[in-house]
Amino acid sequence: MNVLRAWIEERLGLRAVAAFLEKKEVPRHKHTIFYYTGSSILLFLGIQIVTGVLLAFYYQPTLAEANASVARIVTEMPLGWLLRSVHSWSATFMIAIVFVHLLGIAFTKAYRKPREATWITGVLLLAASLAFGFTGYLLPWDELSLAATKVGTNLPKAIPVVGAWLTGVMRAGEDVTGDTLSRFFIFHVSVLPLAVIALLGVHLFLVQRHGMSVPLEEERKGAKGPVIPFWPNFAYREAGVWLILLGLLVTIAVFAAPGLGPQADLMAPAPEGIKPEWYFLFLFQTLKLFPARILGLNGEIVAVLIMMAGMGLFAFLPFIDNRPAERKGKVIAGLVWAGLAYAMGMSIWSLL
Amino acid sequence: MKLLYSLFSRRAFLNSLIGGWLAALGAAFISPLLKYIVPPTREPDQVSVPLAEVQDLAAGSVQGFAWGNKPGLLKKAEDGSFIAFVGVCTHLDCNVSFVAEKRRFYCACHEGWYDENGINVAGPPPAPLRRLAVSVEGDALIVKKQG
Repeated sequence: MNVLRAWIEERLGLRAVAAFLEKKEVPRHKHTIFYYTGSSILLFLGIQIVTGVLLAFYYQPTLAEANASVARIVTEMPLGWLLRSVHSWSATFMIAIVFVHLLGIAFTKAYRKPREATWITGVLLLAASLAFGFTGYLLPWDELSLAATKVGTNLPKAIPVVGAWLTGVMRAGEDVTGDTLSRFFIFHVSVLPLAVIALLGVHLFLVQRHGMSVPLEEERKGAKGPVIPFWPNFAYREAGVWLILLGLLVTIAVFAAPGLGPQADLMAPAPEGIKPEWYFLFLFQTLKLFPARILGLNGEIVAVLIMMAGMGLFAFLPFIDNRPAERKGKVIAGLVWAGLAYAMGMSIWSLL
Repeated sequence: MKLLYSLFSRRAFLNSLIGGWLAALGAAFISPLLKYIVPPTREPDQVSVPLAEVQDLAAGSVQGFAWGNKPGLLKKAEDGSFIAFVGVCTHLDCNVSFVAEKRRFYCACHEGWYDENGINVAGPPPAPLRRLAVSVEGDALIVKKQG
């Protein structure tokens, strides 16, 4: 055994990694719970990869077969209904925890110098996660997913100069057709996973390079606060969190499997009650409320430009909030709270 | 003539030359890929609908037809003539339906309404439904792009 270990060590030099893990510490304070969110996201990402690969064994991304092949997976394949349900619920869990992760970082201002690059890779990972959700939503090819995709892919059209081209790229042409389905499938199973692996590599490297961020208020207390050793103390706690989340996920997946609507018809009128996934509801409700014309401008264009400006500000938050401890920082924290209240309020309104 | 001072070194000059050349080469490779990813969409020049299919349509009612990849809507006016629309909401591209009892077109996605002439009257739609030109030729209705 020792010979084998020495043989491996000579070739891989894993001692350095082990030494790093032995020294790694996790700060202990009242916001420590947010440190668990990162690894929980990784758990759900892993589940998505495994269940996704299994679903793709039988799924067929064509106009004629997409809806029927999903029906076949959930009705004929052994435990296929459970796999699809876990994939769908795990996506929801993952996005929910991504939001908690994000809010924890925003409110403890963990993005402040020198962690700006970590924040930006995180924002890109968030965009990739939402793109996963958006492309995956179309794949069952039922009435609701078609209508939601038409709306979602039409939005970029409002962007000046490149908008129409972007919509063309997303739809594979001017309209949503079978080519759109192929395109969404290949993005869902190939382009986005590659992008996420690359971004995640950088993100995780930066997190290790800078160590865990300590909230501003703790930092101000001066002396280094209490810590938990990462290995094995914190890792075991994370394992406990994983077990609880896994139990919750499978329980919900068993009792609330997602349905499958009738096959999408490109010529049929949009069905009543179309709704995007819950994480797009606040955007959906905002679009519904915007009037057709605002000050002589097209209301949709105004809405999309405001949304884009909001996203842009958000992506560069560390550079805007460059004096986190001062008054400006407090105003920005207030604005983040207001944004959260807006998103939650709009989401609840759209469900009423 | 030998210059005593220069704003940039020979190395910086060569680096920017090579950098610019690489950027141009990259652009030359990427531009055909960008062309490839958006296929041309052929909107039909005209669509013919056999008169027999729509002759029995009651005045004021609507029948669908395929306008390329999009749904078309054919409405029979009170005087027996036909008007045609592209049945796609001008707000965010959802397919609309005709609600006969209200004599209005309705988009379920964001609750947009158009009157029976396709004029946007309520909700978010910013423009009327797109009209198509209809003419009768022999035993068929010919639907064409307007204008």
